[in-house]
Amino acid sequence: MIDLLELKKIGVRFGDKQVLKDISIKFQPGEIIGLVAPNGTGKSTLMNVIMNYLPPNQGQVILNHELQYSSKANEVKIHQDVSMMPDQSDLYNHVSGKNHLKIYQEMWNSDPKLIDETIVKLGMESYVKKKTGTYSLGMRQRLCFAMQIVSNTQVMLMDEVMNGLDPTHVELISQILLQKKAEGKTIIIASHLLENLEQYADRIFFMKNGELNLVDDVSPGFSDNKVTTVRVSNFSQELLIVFKKQFPELAVQILPNGKTLIDVKEQDTITLGAITQYLIAQRLNDFSFGKLTLNDLYSLEYQQS
Amino acid sequence: MRSMLKTLFIIEKTNKKNIFACLIVALCIIGMVVYANSTELGNPIKEKSSESLPVKVAMNKFQIVDASEYGDGSDIYKNIVKQYYTYPKQGMALKTEQPELFIDTAIELTELRKQAFEMENYDLVAGNLPSKIENEMDSSYYKYLKEHSLELSFGSLSFYPFLAFLFSIVGSVWFVLIGIYSSNIMIDDFRHISIIKGYPIAFSKYVLAKCITSMGIVVIFIIELFICSLPLIYFKGLGQASYPVAVFNGGVMIYPIYKYIAVSIIYMIVLAIFAILLSVILNVLLKNVYLTIFVQVILVVLPILFPGLIELIPFNPFNYVNFPSVLNGESLNLAMPVALNSNAGLLYLCISIGLLMAIIKWVLSTGKLQKI
Amino acid sequence: MWAYFKWELSQFFTNKKNIAVYVILLFLAIYFVLKIAPSYEPIEKVDVAEMEARYTTRDDFIKSVEGKDNMHPSVAFALAIFPGWNEYDRARIDAIGDKDYLKYAEGTAGWYLYSDQLIVNSGDFFYNPLYYTYGNNYAHADGHYGYGYTASRFTGYVEGSSELSMELFEERTALQTLQRMLNDYLPIVLFISCIFLSVDIVLKDRRNPSLLKGFPIADWKKLLMKGIVAFIGSVLTFIPLCVGFIVIGLQNGFGDFSLPVPIYSYIEETFTNMPMSTFILKNVLFMAIWFLFFIGISLFLSIILKAEFANLFVSFLLIAAEWIYFERVMGAYSDIERYPTSYVQVGQVISGYRNFVYESPDLTYQYGLTIVGCCTLFLMILTLIVSKFKRFKLIA
Repeated sequence: MIDLLELKKIGVRFGDKQVLKDISIKFQPGEIIGLVAPNGTGKSTLMNVIMNYLPPNQGQVILNHELQYSSKANEVKIHQDVSMMPDQSDLYNHVSGKNHLKIYQEMWNSDPKLIDETIVKLGMESYVKKKTGTYSLGMRQRLCFAMQIVSNTQVMLMDEVMNGLDPTHVELISQILLQKKAEGKTIIIASHLLENLEQYADRIFFMKNGELNLVDDVSPGFSDNKVTTVRVSNFSQELLIVFKKQFPELAVQILPNGKTLIDVKEQDTITLGAITQYLIAQRLNDFSFGKLTLNDLYSLEYQQS
Repeated sequence: MRSMLKTLFIIEKTNKKNIFACLIVALCIIGMVVYANSTELGNPIKEKSSESLPVKVAMNKFQIVDASEYGDGSDIYKNIVKQYYTYPKQGMALKTEQPELFIDTAIELTELRKQAFEMENYDLVAGNLPSKIENEMDSSYYKYLKEHSLELSFGSLSFYPFLAFLFSIVGSVWFVLIGIYSSNIMIDDFRHISIIKGYPIAFSKYVLAKCITSMGIVVIFIIELFICSLPLIYFKGLGQASYPVAVFNGGVMIYPIYKYIAVSIIYMIVLAIFAILLSVILNVLLKNVYLTIFVQVILVVLPILFPGLIELIPFNPFNYVNFPSVLNGESLNLAMPVALNSNAGLLYLCISIGLLMAIIKWVLSTGKLQKI
Repeated sequence: MWAYFKWELSQFFTNKKNIAVYVILLFLAIYFVLKIAPSYEPIEKVDVAEMEARYTTRDDFIKSVEGKDNMHPSVAFALAIFPGWNEYDRARIDAIGDKDYLKYAEGTAGWYLYSDQLIVNSGDFFYNPLYYTYGNNYAHADGHYGYGYTASRFTGYVEGSSELSMELFEERTALQTLQRMLNDYLPIVLFISCIFLSVDIVLKDRRNPSLLKGFPIADWKKLLMKGIVAFIGSVLTFIPLCVGFIVIGLQNGFGDFSLPVPIYSYIEETFTNMPMSTFILKNVLFMAIWFLFFIGISLFLSIILKAEFANLFVSFLLIAAEWIYFERVMGAYSDIERYPTSYVQVGQVISGYRNFVYESPDLTYQYGLTIVGCCTLFLMILTLIVSKFKRFKLIA
């Protein structure tokens, strides 16, 4: 498999604070990567390093096995293939949305047909000819996304792409992301909107202490489609003690958000049935079987104090 | 590069600032046309009538004695008396519309003054008479008229002479105007940083594209200068494009009006490039519109406040920023006279532009663009 | 409200541009002290050699023609007036020799009155040649003004109780320098500073709108606070200029607040003296109104046009307006006293010099104060009303 973009031992330090620690990772074409972390853990820093807006203290960014940010000319070449989604507050208020798209199409010299296609796909026809000064937050956000889609670069970096969007548009954008993935693009998404990320991301990383941790490593079997966990709400302390006595072989975890997780990996159907009976008997009706959600993992990773 | 220019065109064409700037320039020029038209600007009868009084006063500084060739008055006194008596001749020539006589007396007057400069006690009357360089320019102007037997115009400014006048006025404030106009050239971009930063184009090329776009508007300003002066053709006629203008360029020379205008335009374009590049650098360094304006104005004002600097650093491009005064040889009137050569000035400006470009190319980079 | 005021104030004084304005003013003050003040050469200076020369020339003349018959009428005229003139010059020369400044002031006042009477309607005599610079068409009138001014000033010295000195006679003391500058470009410099200080006071908030939008305070109150802050900032421009004032004071003495400032009355065509304190107070008051006016312009345009350059452009246009339409004696045939812009030269309005150059009696201090004050009030009210409209948001 060819890898398109490679980060090699990237390290960034702000004063004493090590924001990125020896990050080495490879990204393949046709892959959507999710970067999940709370604010201030280095998601944006990593993206800025990939764009060379922030030269790292150590390490290299390598595109197509050869290109590095070693000269200004190379920077231009890399930017031809790697783009980052613009900030919605940076739009030109006196310029129309369509002209914004035209600018990005011109700058990256992509197919002009993309402009109209993207407008239709994102349902922007009604307002795209108006000046962006009149747009709402969601409209601006969609425009920024559309701009990057129009630039049509090999690697696309998106920071908080779903911000301020309603569920319908989240769905629309997800569809476009999947289509771009099918076209062989590498898309890196930083987000703290967790739910929809699992739907389309091939690999999801947590960032902690300046390191990237693949979710599957944090919780083995996360990506498998098997029942691994029982999630119970309002599990009181006393009942939990009783439960633990009854099923001493099960690992139980209480999340900071109040949910209780019972690890049922490698358990047979009989045990699962017994658990169900026990929970119903204790009138704990709000429980579900399934796999660990990203939300649970997130809570485990970052909210444990 | 082409796509960058297209992009900037999309952004700039709807920018209110440009539209307003063009409107203001047009209004100012039309105002000037109206002013020139209504005040009879350049009418020699009006302008010459007041010249004799200071000479009369100069005369009164001396004891009244016999001013004849062998009289006992001092040389300078005799000279001033002779000067004083050329004025009535000039006045008569004007009123009876005899251009040849007027030119002859004007030449006579400049000759008298030329002699006066060398005489003892000239300092006594210096304040009442035109300066040496002014006189020299007058002298070559009238001599040129006589040699080429050109008709002296008795009316006020017609189209071409007005253009020369207009360029000399606009030229003296041109650098500051362009400096102010371009003072937010990069600051503006800092507000759109996430859009611009990732453009697959080198920063120096990006700056170049920005400068070319700004220069486009500068060219529009210059074209406006011509277009908005056109009404004067209707009021005052076209005039002669080959009419002489005395300029200083290392020595006193005569340029025809069209050459004067051409030199002005070259200067204005070079100054505009200089101002824009300076704005770019100051913007990136200072990140503040007003500080950019202040620094530019200070750089312009310094040689004016400390004229000693002009002699000390003759290659300072800011000595030449007020190019009409360079062309008038005004630096020769300073306490420490310096002959600023306007061609050399162009050269210094061009070298400075090269330096600024080098700074932009080698020192500034996209990394310098931070959101503010 | 108080918290918002403090917030704005701290914003104002940490603004790079504002600091730059103060630094530039300081630089100008230092430049003035080092370069301009020492090279100041008053036309009416104390010059013993000049007086002596004048005296001897006339004395020679009197001696040479005295007692002769059949004199030319002009010679007879000269003979009639020269002895009186010479008496004044003699008195001045002697007084300087004795260092009797009071006597010198007396003689000088008399000399200028006498000279002015002789010269004003004469074609044979002239004022000090320095008035007749190349290209000045109004030199004779200027000379008349200058002589009247000087005569009145010296009369004031005689009548007043100030300690007299050479510096005082040549208007070199700190207070007199201030007075001269008030009649010169100082008000313009201060107004330009005020404009630069207040130009972004509203629009700077657009850089971080979400932060400031939500402050729980009404728009008009915000504007009021901003106006007050800009006004305080503008008033404080005197601090850097004070440096110049103090240095000049240490060099040439400070002068005192009872020094006479000649005020020209166009109707009576005479000068009357005003104490220095009154003159400066009047100037301060008038300039304060102007400050409010320019701040009002900035506030109003900021809401309406939302462009800092528009503020700059309009404000500068208002300052430059008089320079555009100005022509000497135009007051005789046009209503320049109705335009507030005719009053930007605050010191000259108060001292009556503007009446003199315009030849208009109506351009008075009171009238100017009323007009500029009314305009300011109108602007403020308009700004308040506009700020109530939803359409014009303070922060876009």
